[in-house]
Amino acid sequence: MTSQITFYLSQITGCKIYDVNGTRLGKVMDIIVNTNQPGPSHEEAFRPVIVGLKTKINGDIRYLNFEFIKIESKLRGFSFVCYQTDFLPDSIVDNCLPLVKNILDRQIVDINGRKLVRVNDIRLVSIASGTYAIAVDIGTEGLFRRMGVADLVNNVLSLVKLNLPTRYILWDDVEAFDSSNFNIKLAYSTNKLQRLHPSDLADIIEEMGSKSRTKVFESLDEEKAADVLEEMEPYAQAQIIESLSIGKAADVLEKMPADEVADLFDELEDETVELLLNEMEKESSEEVRELLEYEDKEVGSLMTTDYLSFREDMTIEETLNELRIQKPEADMIYSLFITDTEEKLIATVSLRDLVISLPTMTLSEIMNTDIICVKDEDKIDTLGSIISKYDLLAIPVTDAENTLMGMVVIDDIVEDLMYKGKTKKGGRSWR
Amino acid sequence: MALIQYSEFTKRRKNIWRNLILFLAVLGPGIITGSVDNDAGGITTYSIAGAMYGYNLLWTMIPAFIVLVVVQEMNARMGIVSGKGLADLIRENAGVKITFFIFVGLLIADIGNTTTEFAGVAGSMQVFNISKYLSVPISAVLVWWLVVKGTYKFSERVFLIFSAFLLVYVVSAIMGKPHWHDIGQAMIKPDIKYNKEYLAVVIGIIGTTIAPWMQFYMQSAVIEKGLKITDYKYTLWDVIIGSVITVVVAFFIIIACASTLHIKGIAINEAKDAAMALKPIAGDLASITFAFGLFVASIFSATILPVATAFYVCEAFGFEAGIDKKWKEAPQFYWLFTFIIILGAAIILIPNAPLILITLWSQVANGLLLPVVLLCMILLVNNKEVMGEYVNKTWQNVIGWATIIILIGLSVTLLVSSFF
Repeated sequence: MTSQITFYLSQITGCKIYDVNGTRLGKVMDIIVNTNQPGPSHEEAFRPVIVGLKTKINGDIRYLNFEFIKIESKLRGFSFVCYQTDFLPDSIVDNCLPLVKNILDRQIVDINGRKLVRVNDIRLVSIASGTYAIAVDIGTEGLFRRMGVADLVNNVLSLVKLNLPTRYILWDDVEAFDSSNFNIKLAYSTNKLQRLHPSDLADIIEEMGSKSRTKVFESLDEEKAADVLEEMEPYAQAQIIESLSIGKAADVLEKMPADEVADLFDELEDETVELLLNEMEKESSEEVRELLEYEDKEVGSLMTTDYLSFREDMTIEETLNELRIQKPEADMIYSLFITDTEEKLIATVSLRDLVISLPTMTLSEIMNTDIICVKDEDKIDTLGSIISKYDLLAIPVTDAENTLMGMVVIDDIVEDLMYKGKTKKGGRSWR
Repeated sequence: MALIQYSEFTKRRKNIWRNLILFLAVLGPGIITGSVDNDAGGITTYSIAGAMYGYNLLWTMIPAFIVLVVVQEMNARMGIVSGKGLADLIRENAGVKITFFIFVGLLIADIGNTTTEFAGVAGSMQVFNISKYLSVPISAVLVWWLVVKGTYKFSERVFLIFSAFLLVYVVSAIMGKPHWHDIGQAMIKPDIKYNKEYLAVVIGIIGTTIAPWMQFYMQSAVIEKGLKITDYKYTLWDVIIGSVITVVVAFFIIIACASTLHIKGIAINEAKDAAMALKPIAGDLASITFAFGLFVASIFSATILPVATAFYVCEAFGFEAGIDKKWKEAPQFYWLFTFIIILGAAIILIPNAPLILITLWSQVANGLLLPVVLLCMILLVNNKEVMGEYVNKTWQNVIGWATIIILIGLSVTLLVSSFF
């Protein structure tokens, strides 16, 4: 038989399985598929192959080896013929993904659409080399098919020249996460989620249930995890951190800017905060401790302590070399500060001036000594007007003795202004 | 070294207000749910109960309170532990068919309930001599605007103020000069009657206190608050306070009607009748506060019910939903919401609309739905894959199952009796 048969998961659950003599063995309860990608070959879209059928034989749950099973399309639905009754051992079953139990009706990540979708059905295809799951059905037609009325509704709708909307997503473009044997799967699949922008991933993770939230987060590497955590709402950040082990949480937090960590700590219990601070590397934890000293409405609580400062006698070339070594983040590099030997702020330099000047000039020749800066104990409310008035990307922050403490970047000010008294973004409820 | 740092550190953060602030931050879901509970339908039931049986039915407040706390605690716990809405959990664990049954039922029941809320708006405004053809369209537009254009922070504030307004019933009750001795007597030694009408009112009171859609609302509200398991002890208090508010408001409505209408032997069919009848007996203030309370409660529930219903239906069937989304992003959600409001308001505006029939049928839908929803709930809350170590303990199951069996019994009785 060379022809291919396509069918849906909902059409074959409950179908009868016969042996070669036509004796009934049982009914299809679930289908298990192998989701382990054979290798990093990206020539063809990956589709999981069906390994076995879950069924009940004489009251025992068994998994029949699909190698010896053929699907037959009949006038009314499908049936399966089992040529050799071979039960799969637990070692194989445990490494497979049961589609009905863990995919059907669950939420999965639509990688291209960058959102969570609910699986109404799964489309499978049987060809000579095996039977594969090719796409998940998230359309309305799938929903009606599950209730057994898709054809009926389509017939009625066709009278007015309409039909039920269909939507499929190829298996390659989805990421399932809501399953109990999740850890096995993640070994190969993390890279799909890694493809998403941290901000999108943060929104998706916020909408997940708490168990999957932790699992997905744990599967990310530390850099990505820190980026994603930074983009989340404070309550979700706190939930994630509390669900991780102290060691893992501290590792992620070290990768985050100190001001974000300090904000996050306001959401946690004191005991947890202390444990985390002790676990974190000394350098990071001290910065965070300093920031925690500031009141909520003080500039200090919003500032970042990651900034770049130089001496005025350095040449442009030396400065640029230093920047190449340090590889600072984008929001740090535009605003550079000049300090004296006592770390007092004496001038600012913009990246623009640095780039357009001759390599042999010194910083003192191009620096701007008309400094616009704020004190760490000033009120946050004042920042918005300063930054718009002087068109700044960042404002340096000093203490009462003019010692440079950090800077406030425009992103954080905008965020502070936007969420003042406004609704939380994202979230899953109707609000 | 670490110890010294710790004490310095905690000096800044730890103070006596911290617990209180934490508690206030967690507050909300239980109190709002408890307040929405006393909607137009609820006020009507309590008024009729007070007018018909005087203080006699006050004892029902005790079982109603227990049932409320037990059911909502389970919702709160499920929300916190799983991080998923009840609609999500039912869809994932019970499949499409049961989900479809529940949500079609919920949709029908809630359209009926929304109609009742607009009837409450119309009735309360009639007490102030404002025509329903004016009050109902205006409130429908107001409600629609609040949800589509308002922000959540603003809405929540409005809602919490609404909850506080419901305490006007205390004023109404006191204006009627109640007999506290008789009230105490009725609570401690209830004189339970065994006839059909009495049973129907008892079932009505318990049934109106625990409507199916509230379970969905409560669980989503807990998730939306982003509560963690460490917040659980505060959430429990939120649930208890919410239930106390529900019961206290109901208690005073019954008293307000019992100490005036019942003594004078005035029978009523609607909550607005109570407000009208209070005028000659207890004075203008009692009448106005009663009508005002009815108005606030009706608007409150007319806001939350349609949007909540639209949200759960979309959540269960995988459509985008949420008022933080734009109309284009979540068209099904917004159309469904608009549809429920327009339909609910329009039915009231039909001259001689069969309101009693609508109330009856939405009660039937609620009655059919409640056992299914509660059964799903108790099975889910005992499901280790969903709840992990936070599944019900034995004593919680004993109380939970007892509550559910009694509620199912009552619903079935109500259902059967509404046809005879």
